[in-house]
Amino acid sequence: MKESLIVFAKEIKDSLRDRRTLVTAVLMPIFLMPVIMIGTFKMQEVQMKKSEAQIPKIAFNIQADAPMLVNFLKNDKKYVVVADQTSDSAKAMMEKGDLNVYLEVAPTFEKMVSQGNPAEVKVYHKSSITDSVTAFQKVTIALQEFNQRTAVARLAQKNVPPAILTAILPTPVDFATAQERGGYFIGFLLPMFIVLFAIVGGMYIAIDVSAGEKERKTLEALLLTPASRFTIVTGKFLAVAATASTTIILSLFSLYAAFKFFPPNFGTGGEFIISLTPKAISIMLGVGVIMAIMFSGLLLSVAIFAKSYKEAQNYITPFYLLAILPVSIVSSIPGFKPTLPFFMIPGVNGVFVVKEVLLSQYDTTHILVTLGSLLVFAVIAIFIATKIYSREGVLFRD
Amino acid sequence: MIKVKNLTKVFNGLTAVKDVSFETRAGEIFGLLGPNGAGKTTTIRVIATVLQPTSGTAEVAGFDIIKQPEDVRRNIGVLTAEIGLYDRFTARENMRYFGHLYRMEGEALEKRIEYLIEALDMGRFADRRAGQFSTGMKQKVAIARSIIHDPKVIIFDEPTAGLDVLASQTVIAFMRKAREQGNLVVLSTHDMAHAQKLCDRVAIMHRSRLVALDTQERLLQQTNTRNLEDAFLQIVGEDAAKLVEHEREEQHLAGIKKKRRFGL
Ligand SMILES: Nc1ncnc2c1ncn2[C@@H]1O[C@H](COP(=O)(O)OP(=O)(O)OP(=O)(O)O)[C@@H](O)[C@H]1O
Ligand SMILES: [Mg+2]
Repeated sequence: MKESLIVFAKEIKDSLRDRRTLVTAVLMPIFLMPVIMIGTFKMQEVQMKKSEAQIPKIAFNIQADAPMLVNFLKNDKKYVVVADQTSDSAKAMMEKGDLNVYLEVAPTFEKMVSQGNPAEVKVYHKSSITDSVTAFQKVTIALQEFNQRTAVARLAQKNVPPAILTAILPTPVDFATAQERGGYFIGFLLPMFIVLFAIVGGMYIAIDVSAGEKERKTLEALLLTPASRFTIVTGKFLAVAATASTTIILSLFSLYAAFKFFPPNFGTGGEFIISLTPKAISIMLGVGVIMAIMFSGLLLSVAIFAKSYKEAQNYITPFYLLAILPVSIVSSIPGFKPTLPFFMIPGVNGVFVVKEVLLSQYDTTHILVTLGSLLVFAVIAIFIATKIYSREGVLFRD
Repeated sequence: MIKVKNLTKVFNGLTAVKDVSFETRAGEIFGLLGPNGAGKTTTIRVIATVLQPTSGTAEVAGFDIIKQPEDVRRNIGVLTAEIGLYDRFTARENMRYFGHLYRMEGEALEKRIEYLIEALDMGRFADRRAGQFSTGMKQKVAIARSIIHDPKVIIFDEPTAGLDVLASQTVIAFMRKAREQGNLVVLSTHDMAHAQKLCDRVAIMHRSRLVALDTQERLLQQTNTRNLEDAFLQIVGEDAAKLVEHEREEQHLAGIKKKRRFGL
């Protein structure tokens, strides 16, 4: 077993001198993780402010047919009513962004309203254009307000108190803490990144210690030493696992520090707070590190089939997609409630546990099943790697 | 020191080594000669336990290659045909890593490294990273690495390939010195001049089989030639001629069969 440590120490020293490993395993997690996370929040913040500040541009077919409504909208400084358009010209303007919503009224509109009959107004919008959607929502609210005011005025004429219109008063009370809202928010991105770093962190060193050793033609000399193949592959595996784990640890700590020192503050008045508790961080660390160990074994098994760096990268790309695809699918389905079997799928289970932890839902069963499943798969991966390394065909395929 | 007994190695249907047997003793330089693809490197790899024999076995310093592979590897130093070094390590670090894998450490290891740097004339580049080395420099480090543990059995697979005259001389002197110290040196090479100068006994492989095994003088006598190259050409040539003859016979027999089949 001492030989394993010798191999381990050599591979670590060797890869510390390799810029590629240093960039993917150390620099990327330290800088990329906080930059992407905080960057995403900043972008969302900017987006939210922008849509709040947006002034919808509205056009009518014939303003003269609805003077009351036009005046109501014009008096409200939150809207701009532009010159009349036909429905075709309005559609063209909407595509270009010169117009957000188009209102079409019938010639009898004004008469119907003043007579107290419901009058139709068609609200044209395009749900595939974000600006049109937000404008549509704002205009809908304005139209409802117009409705209400008119109704109140009509009731006043008949001496009926307007309160009669209100049967119930729904009052929403959100008891999610600002922290939980923040956790929900980063729950879409952070778990993906942990899985990603668990793979990417060990990728270069895995290639370097297996295919790289073949490419440099040092493998045979190594096999000629008294160290058994099992001890050699154990040493290499330890080096890959240690590197991948370091990546996970660095990325989580750098994220923790980033949120601590530059807490993203958005929504109005601290509606979202992102703070990772030490408990949350340590569960994420546990899951992340075991996941890194498991992927290290798999990476090593895949890369040894290649004769060169290039070939190894070709083998690892599909493997990488295979691992990351289910993860990105399940983590992008909002409100997806995983059942227990989902916590047995390696990678996917990590995503769900991290998500739960971010919402302060510490489900012991889920955490234990996840850790257990990852451990079992890690052992299988290491077993596969050692089996492959003892086959001479794989090592001497000229 | 090496006893090879009926060694056969088959790679998915291709027989690379067929029923090869020979014995070597301490204190000699034993030449393993043969044209490209004869099976020399495969024989060496099986003896060195990196490949498993299909049948037959061998003993190295009294250890069986199948039953005691780790003891065999401890007692043997092999310079592989394809040399490679860790590019991001210096020559010294390359040697040290292998020393550690042979369970050497501390003062003893550093002394051994220093001795090899001296003996193979590597002082100028011992502390430079191997990535920038020329073929000759790499070859010297590879040699030093293969014998870092001072093995009693040394196998060199084409040690002078790619070396200039001066560097070759350093390696040749080194092999002579190893013989003087009572070690066994097995030399596989295409360079007949070097083989003639160095080898006490030679084995010639051709088409996976051993076609000659004797001292140099006796081989020259038998073939009535004056140098090893001519003897080699004659022995291999005869064997190749036999092959052509066999093939012709087989084709002939196959032709007869075909004729019969179509004739009836
Ligand atoms: N790993 C392998 N898989 C399949 N065939 C192999 C393998 N290694 C060698 N061979 C085949 O075995 C035969 C003997 O090869 P070997 O390398 O032992 O010859 P050699 O005598 O060392 O030749 P050279 O002088 O060119 O080095 C060749 O036909 C070679 O193609
Ligand atoms: Mg060869």
